[in-house]
Amino acid sequence: MNQAAQQDLRDEEIVALCQQGRSEVFEVLVRKYMEKAFRIAFDFTHDTEEAKDLSQEAFLRAFSRIKQFDGRSSFYTWFYRLVVNICLDHTRRKGRVIWERLEKETEGGTETVELADNSSLPDEEAIAGEAKRKADLTLEAMPNKQRTAFLLRNHQGLSIPDIAKVMKTTEGTVRVYLHRAVAALRQSLVEFV
Amino acid sequence: MKEHIDTLRTACKDFEEDLVLYYYGDDSEAERGRVEGHLQSCLSCHEFLDDLRKLLPQMAKPKELPPMFWDNYYNEMVEKLAVHQERHAWWKSLFAPMRAWMLPAFGTAAVAALAVGLVISRGHWHYPFSQTQERIPQEILADTNQLEFFKSMDMLETLSSLEALDGTKVQPGNNHHG
Repeated sequence: MNQAAQQDLRDEEIVALCQQGRSEVFEVLVRKYMEKAFRIAFDFTHDTEEAKDLSQEAFLRAFSRIKQFDGRSSFYTWFYRLVVNICLDHTRRKGRVIWERLEKETEGGTETVELADNSSLPDEEAIAGEAKRKADLTLEAMPNKQRTAFLLRNHQGLSIPDIAKVMKTTEGTVRVYLHRAVAALRQSLVEFV
Repeated sequence: MKEHIDTLRTACKDFEEDLVLYYYGDDSEAERGRVEGHLQSCLSCHEFLDDLRKLLPQMAKPKELPPMFWDNYYNEMVEKLAVHQERHAWWKSLFAPMRAWMLPAFGTAAVAALAVGLVISRGHWHYPFSQTQERIPQEILADTNQLEFFKSMDMLETLSSLEALDGTKVQPGNNHHG
């Protein structure tokens, strides 16, 4: 099978081929999901190298467990769960270290312009940077489940039913997590109003 | 500061959760109609929604990375998969000659060998407790009174040796025990 034909395969077909021993086809899944996997990990870690390592670890884990994938959920839901779990484990291990580093980075103003609108006024950028810093710190301080639900919905664009599958919970619970996360963000940004 | 940045405003408590779901498009048709009806008459909820529209997409803005990064990422990943597969193949080759029937066969053979070993060593392997029991003649063991007598004799011997160690003499008759 040539590369072009491999690219056209659906996830389920790729997984079936991998389960039959055609493991080279797994690279198509890497190509397809590497950006998403990296972005989730980056949302959790705020560090490019760590995000790369964690997302690649998720691919390796998916590769080694591909025979256990039973097709009850879609591949990407199953894979998202692996990425999220790896990121949460990492967050638990590192604890407050991430938060402290984030504070340092944002104090330096390295990534503070993303919340700025089209205006290039320096004071607006500084304010937007401060708001961004606050928002990131609030996200870091949130309970893991709230943050996961928020990141998957807001940053990854997953639907609520899919988030429920990834987090192995109900859609109602995801809605509550999402609302609480947004409410917490509102609270943290109230000083800027 | 207040002039430059618009952030979240207070919304009606009953509608806050619905507004979040409305923003993401995760509500039902009926909920949507209810929220839209409320938004027409409530300025603070309207502003709250505007703030969500302004803030949340900005938060989700991904970090821009050059195409080179993704090429390196992919190549590194392919390499890692190859290494992983190689390692896995090594384990597989170790167990490859072992057929499915071999595992129970080896298990049975091991159990049989263990049983034979136990039978053979039966006459030579004793617990320390049983050894001390065997040193006492059976005639004595049969009579518990005699056994008590011998135990007291043992104690007398022990006392004598203790006295010898201390270098003190104990008067005869003091060694009697009830």
